[in-house]
Amino acid sequence: MGCGTSKSGMKQSEKSMKAALLIQKWYRRYQARLEARRRCTWNIFQSIEYSGEQNQLKLYNFFDDMLTHLQMNPESNQQSNVASNMLSISTRPHENGSNSNAEEELLKNTDPSRVKVNAMYKGAKLTAPMTSEQLTWLIEAYRNKELLHAKYVLFVLHETRRMLKRRPNISYVSTAITKQITVCGDLHGKLDDLFIIFHKNGLPSPDNPYIFNGDFVDRGWQSVEVTILLFCCSLVYPNDVFLNRGNHEDHVMNLRYGFVKEIMSKYKEHATKIVRLFEDVFSWLPLATIIDNKILVAHGGVSDTTDLDYLKTIDRHRFLSCLRPPVDRTLAQMGGCREDDEEDDDADLHSINSQDRNDLCAWRQVLDLLWSDPKNQKGCTPNTFRGGGTYFGPDVTEAVLQKHRLDLLIRSHECKQDGYEYTHNDKVLTVFSASNYYEMGSNRGAYVKLGTDLKPHIVQYMATKDSANRKLTIQQRISLNETSALSTLRTMLISYQLDLCRHFKNIDQTNEGKITVAEWCAGVEEVLQLELPWRTLRHKLVKCDEDGMIEYASAFDQFKIMHKFSEQDSASGITETLYRNKDSLETIFRIIDKDNSGVITNDEFEEACSLLSKHIGLQIPKEQARDLAKCIDINKDGQIDFNEFLEAFRLVDPHGKDLTVSHNQQNGSSGEIT
Amino acid sequence: MNLDKRTLPKCFFQHAVTINNMAEDTKENAESLLADIQKKVTDAFDIFDHESNKTVDVREVGTIIRSLGCCPSEAELHDMLSEIEEEEPTGYIRFEKFLPMMTHVLMERRYKPCPEDHLLRAFQVLDQGAKGFLTQEELVKYMTEEGESFTQEEMEEMLSAAVDPEKNQVLYKEYCSLMLPEEA
Repeated sequence: MGCGTSKSGMKQSEKSMKAALLIQKWYRRYQARLEARRRCTWNIFQSIEYSGEQNQLKLYNFFDDMLTHLQMNPESNQQSNVASNMLSISTRPHENGSNSNAEEELLKNTDPSRVKVNAMYKGAKLTAPMTSEQLTWLIEAYRNKELLHAKYVLFVLHETRRMLKRRPNISYVSTAITKQITVCGDLHGKLDDLFIIFHKNGLPSPDNPYIFNGDFVDRGWQSVEVTILLFCCSLVYPNDVFLNRGNHEDHVMNLRYGFVKEIMSKYKEHATKIVRLFEDVFSWLPLATIIDNKILVAHGGVSDTTDLDYLKTIDRHRFLSCLRPPVDRTLAQMGGCREDDEEDDDADLHSINSQDRNDLCAWRQVLDLLWSDPKNQKGCTPNTFRGGGTYFGPDVTEAVLQKHRLDLLIRSHECKQDGYEYTHNDKVLTVFSASNYYEMGSNRGAYVKLGTDLKPHIVQYMATKDSANRKLTIQQRISLNETSALSTLRTMLISYQLDLCRHFKNIDQTNEGKITVAEWCAGVEEVLQLELPWRTLRHKLVKCDEDGMIEYASAFDQFKIMHKFSEQDSASGITETLYRNKDSLETIFRIIDKDNSGVITNDEFEEACSLLSKHIGLQIPKEQARDLAKCIDINKDGQIDFNEFLEAFRLVDPHGKDLTVSHNQQNGSSGEIT
Repeated sequence: MNLDKRTLPKCFFQHAVTINNMAEDTKENAESLLADIQKKVTDAFDIFDHESNKTVDVREVGTIIRSLGCCPSEAELHDMLSEIEEEEPTGYIRFEKFLPMMTHVLMERRYKPCPEDHLLRAFQVLDQGAKGFLTQEELVKYMTEEGESFTQEEMEEMLSAAVDPEKNQVLYKEYCSLMLPEEA
């Protein structure tokens, strides 16, 4: 380099090279820090999401055990209401033909022709056969935020059911004529994203075929619209629109994650019919699609036992909910056989043992297809993070693809920052189509376009409500997400206040209110059962003194959880317990509330509390539950509106100022506590 | 600069002592400083360990190192990586290899960023007319043609935050303050 030796004599070119290098180094560090924050935020959202899923499975298993117990000891049947309702959910349809009565009854009860349409109704009207023109009307109506009349919802569901029933478990698609096909992932009730896809990629048509890879519903608040629209597309273009079942096309998931609630609030007195019919139609959705005999499209993934030829032969409709094993769960675990359940009273009693075994085998295959996630390590292990399905390694992918002479697996099921991700040496492509899934700006959505060479071409997008959001810099976007994730975490800490304090006080022998960082991290992780980088997060959640000790009570001194209808604050425990298990409680309420009226009796409320307390293994004193029920029942008619109850939890600061806790943090910065 | 792995534990200790001597602290505290750094490294690593199996993608190690506050050049980063990669690269870096290397780097305070005013001065060097700003074109030219060039993606990201779209200018004084870490 040049002749300049002294610093001032350095050549300009050398100087600018050094200056550029310095800026680049700084910039890369700056970016890395942002990236670490973003990942951390992502981990928070994902951990909370998956721990919820796990919880739902545990709750379901709990009910399952209870049912089994009740069937074996019918005289101990005291939980008559919940038990009978649970039975109606979990009674599985029998083989085709043998349940014609039940089917007939379902069709009769949900018959659209029995639903009257008020003359005032000016919205979209649909009639058989569905045409592309009707499809355009429907899209227009949905764009204008119109509600499709219950009659037409039922009509679409009936038509779809008839069509799906004729379909095989695995759809085969060829691109020989169309020269292309589009695959979309999870939509989760985000109609805006579906509109973006149609806008960018065109409506489905014989020249423009689509595969929608499950999880149309739950979480987003336009699940009905998304699903009805997809069903209509499929009705108009039955040979060009293919639907796969996802793990959320399942009534038990819908109880917790919002779809049932959405139907109730939109369709009121018709809600029950619609819910029942959706549940049934979902069980008729095909399980996977294969493109040109080369690409497997399934919602979750595969396992080391996945056998597509076997999957073709099963009766998919038997798995009304994939969360319930078709046989007793203890039996399922042993893999053995026993006498069939009592509930199968009208079952064909032929070859029960082998039937059980077959059912179990089929159920596992379906569960693995709908619930699994890829991992980078070899092998196949149970998916403990979610509680269902497997983690499958690159070797498992390779084996399954080879066995079936396939080249690629396209799956969805996991939210990805960029809307897609390649794993397993590009043999697995994840595609996720719901943008802003965790929070405004948290992730992009994507779909995959395949040409005749079957090379995936990814298209990404992000739905934005207003242009202000579009202008945010990456840093601002990350900060926004971070704030929301932290506020969720803070609320969680508060909801575990009693347990955490008990835990910390045991450690804090000197009673100074201080513990070490390591003790705090270990304690929070144990009590909340969430693996997160607590050490990094601690500054944002609790006060630390100058010696680096944690003043653990500081996480709680700002807010308390209160319930609008109850005088008791969180110190009494019950409010905290109920708040913390709000989602499980909601599921239980919805099971009890068989007619989807949103109302249960005081007794049922107490029963729900006692069930919850059994499930979580924590005491909820009967008198307290009764008192609470009385408080809620303001007009003393013995009835409780549980939606109102669930929404009445409040975070309150010491001055009694009310901070609404948003039900879920998906709607941006609402419910923020800073 | 190269690290002799056999002497590693001793070397941590010496450094811990040096640092603590200044603070006139005890040996016990030196160990707790070491423990503290190790936990920091663990946490940073865990954020990127997606499968909770104590490995991370080799392409993300640079981000981890930098997120811990280090400011290495790409070349220096490359050296660090080759030190901890498996003999037959698997595409993954194991925690047990990452931890001692990173602890050592942090104890030695290597790759510490230069003082903040140097960053501003660097921009001033590039601003040859002393206008107080760089045009977008100038910034792109320097960042993609000089030093360790930015990828197109990096360049676009930087521009999205650095350039005032109306004036087409980079007011680097403001931009510098944006790049400073938010907390110590």
